[in-house]
Amino acid sequence: MDDEDMSCTSGDDYGGYGDEDYYNEADVDAADDVEVTPTHSEEAEYECLTVSQVERVFLDGVNQLIARIPVNDKCARTLLEANQWDVERVVKLYRQDRTDLFRRSHIDARPEPKRKLSATSGVKAKGYCTVCAMEGHAELPHLACGHCFCEHCWKSHVESRLSEGVASRIECMESNCEVYAPQEFVLVIIKSSPALKQKYDRFLLRDMVNSHPHLKFCVGNDCQVIIRSTEAKPKRVTCLACHTSSCVRCGADYHAPTSCDTIRQWMTKCADDSETANYISAHTKDCPQCHSCIEKAGGCNHIQCTRCRHHFCWMCFGDWKSHGSEYYECSRYKENPSVAAEANHVKARRALEKYLHYFERFENHSKSLKMEEELRDKIRKKIDDKVNEHNGTWIDWQYLHKSVSLLTKCRYTLQYTYPFAYYLTGSPRKNLVSFLKTNLAKMRKYKTPKTHNWKTGHIFFRFDIFGLTKSDKIEIEEYYKIILFGILYLVYEQSYKPKSCDRLSHTGVGL
Amino acid sequence: MSATRRLQKELGDLKGCGVRAYENVECDETNLLKWTVLLLPDKEPYNKGAFKVGITFPVDYPFKPPKIAFETKIYHPNVDEEGKFCLPIVTTENWKPATKTEQVMMALLSLINEPEPNHPIRADVAEEFQKDHKKFMKTAEEHTRKNAEKRPE
Repeated sequence: MDDEDMSCTSGDDYGGYGDEDYYNEADVDAADDVEVTPTHSEEAEYECLTVSQVERVFLDGVNQLIARIPVNDKCARTLLEANQWDVERVVKLYRQDRTDLFRRSHIDARPEPKRKLSATSGVKAKGYCTVCAMEGHAELPHLACGHCFCEHCWKSHVESRLSEGVASRIECMESNCEVYAPQEFVLVIIKSSPALKQKYDRFLLRDMVNSHPHLKFCVGNDCQVIIRSTEAKPKRVTCLACHTSSCVRCGADYHAPTSCDTIRQWMTKCADDSETANYISAHTKDCPQCHSCIEKAGGCNHIQCTRCRHHFCWMCFGDWKSHGSEYYECSRYKENPSVAAEANHVKARRALEKYLHYFERFENHSKSLKMEEELRDKIRKKIDDKVNEHNGTWIDWQYLHKSVSLLTKCRYTLQYTYPFAYYLTGSPRKNLVSFLKTNLAKMRKYKTPKTHNWKTGHIFFRFDIFGLTKSDKIEIEEYYKIILFGILYLVYEQSYKPKSCDRLSHTGVGL
Repeated sequence: MSATRRLQKELGDLKGCGVRAYENVECDETNLLKWTVLLLPDKEPYNKGAFKVGITFPVDYPFKPPKIAFETKIYHPNVDEEGKFCLPIVTTENWKPATKTEQVMMALLSLINEPEPNHPIRADVAEEFQKDHKKFMKTAEEHTRKNAEKRPE
């Protein structure tokens, strides 16, 4: 595999899947198999679940764990949530060091605060709560750590944490105590407030789903579906309820051949008018662990993400634990003489031009996709007419429908090749050409007769799409792949070249 | 307001805590939510002056952390020109309702006494602190003499 040569997004810090990964897997399979069956290299295997079905997924995990180690169901749930629902891992950690596992999962306290408790037991007798500084409370509920506070304060605490979006990680109120309040405790505390309970349940479900590596909320508007997939690659899932397609890995719109990290960058850039995008890029960074957008409002470079609690350095994104005293290393400006020589405003202007070049094309395809719906209607009508004229049967004409679907699919992918091309760095031609060549060689094994035409990429886009499916035995999926390679080639041909601006006016990708 | 009782208790506790470095605390006559502590660091180069620290408690204290900032200018790697600093125990994420102002003051005092150049808020001062400590001490002493309050007898 010469994947190395093909990694077009060099310098990408995230180490995610390279863009080429989308199609390679299927190709490799095909090369190994004698009988070629068209694999859906882009479709992830998945199922759509309702909230109650998801609850069953959690219960399954809990029951598996209970069968292995002697803990109750609530404890098992917390342990699994803290360990990505990996039963084997929890069992292993449990056998290694039970106390440590419980402490790390925030179920039990460190040994130190427990010892201090004897000092507060006198206070407890008077019903004294240190948070509100009042005596005479009949009850002082506490977590596993034993720190006692009055019910009223607990409720205010839960309310305050919920207002910040914290649900499964509500900590004990004592300083330095890291024990989390379990669900049954919180539910008792907020039992008198249905509004709080509703909020808590909602956030808790969100936290549970987010903690599970195979579950994701459907991104469709107001869609309650949760998608379950074990797919690790950025493949496509389509919600069965609202029909929204998204990437199984990052949850954004499906974006082949662009990688998750690249499309996130692109979408941030396009999301708003350029000023906002500039502000976001100048003032915020993404958490290296969970990719939440973080704005640094002040303070030092030691950042803790409020969502995933990851500690990192604002300058170099390194884990803070291993950061030590290397602050100066990562804040030092490593000057590049050729870059420094270029005046800033010239650079900015050029960057904007390049961005607009790709953005216009990205947008155009987006608009065209909407118009393709009209084409679909036209074809439907035409088929009806033909059938009415006794010119072939309805089934005979279905290839037209298939063809429009293929066209839409190709256009969709073509649209997403622009962000891909925008972020191409290094020596794009070399990378892209080697990418195309490698895959072309593989394509030949598909016994597709006309693949040698790929070099004259334009031909692909003028071929009679309706004639396409008439050549039997060649599956539409395979054509799709061939076309994709052609598309990539075309995108390269049209890629932004600052010096020959006259060529840019010629941009029609005539699909 | 559950804050009143707690604040009154904390104010009394802080005044009687017996730690000279932060027992000088004044509460705004009309507003229990605004305090001023006169911080007396005991290490050079800050031990020749006193530093006013303003504490503003939110209405939902102690469920939200107080806001604390220096009112007296201080030349320190971890305090910016506006008197703001980074103290993990009073950030919104780490705040615990049972944390007392005395604990916060203790943490602040130790930050002032022992600067943490590896978590700087003023990178230039931190660099000076590490690379040219002598110069740093001189500048900071000078700055303290010029800007700090007089220490009470």
